[in-house]
Amino acid sequence: MVERIEDLNLPNSVIARIIKESLPESASVSKEARAAIARAASVFAIFVTSSSTALAHKQNHKTITAKDILQTLAELDFESFVPSLTQDLEIYRKMVKEKKEIKASKKDTSTAENANASTAAAAEDATE
Amino acid sequence: MVEPKIQPVERPPNADTVLPLSRVRTIMKSSMDTGLITNEVLFLMTKCTEMFVRHLAGEAYADAFRQQPGESLKYEHLSQLVNKSKNLEFLLQIVPEKIRVHEFQEMLRLNRSAGSDDDDSESGSESDE
Repeated sequence: MVERIEDLNLPNSVIARIIKESLPESASVSKEARAAIARAASVFAIFVTSSSTALAHKQNHKTITAKDILQTLAELDFESFVPSLTQDLEIYRKMVKEKKEIKASKKDTSTAENANASTAAAAEDATE
Repeated sequence: MVEPKIQPVERPPNADTVLPLSRVRTIMKSSMDTGLITNEVLFLMTKCTEMFVRHLAGEAYADAFRQQPGESLKYEHLSQLVNKSKNLEFLLQIVPEKIRVHEFQEMLRLNRSAGSDDDDSESGSESDE
């Protein structure tokens, strides 16, 4: 769990980089503004997580799914995020699948471990 | 499969995240009662948090400097955006205006109803900051 409140902060350098990328070259950002954006991003993540959790619970699911998050974003008036996130997710899924296939083909030779490998792969999908 | 899609954002879709997944997981866990966060969900949350940062900075900047680019983005630009955007309501207490929100709302209401000819009546509650 969270031991210190700073654990909820996102790294300043990464936030600064993302902000810089999304503004015109000539723009500058005050320290106070950057700190506020970083704080807002943490709160956004918490807000979306708890809203998604509530949505999942309402559908009698214990854990949230990607679908819950996308639906929550639309409900929270961030539907403009959904199309490109959906694309990112597609690519992510493809990547995971490819990785798994490579792994599986490597392990095909050792027949004894095959059953274990597939359960391990499934477990890897859902780390706590 | 490979047909070109309309992209509202300038960056191509990708599976790379710049924010650290472990930190986003910590943040998510701080608000979740029941544990299990799949890798896929973690990826998606990280991506959408990155997107939110871009959105917030971009909108605040666009709002503040519609005419002349090249200015410095300041805290007040953010709080102004938060105050007027419905979907940023959850940040009202996180990025507050330097005056109090209820004063601001009071001001708005007075301006609307009274046409702002006498707003001296509320001066008693302005001395908080």
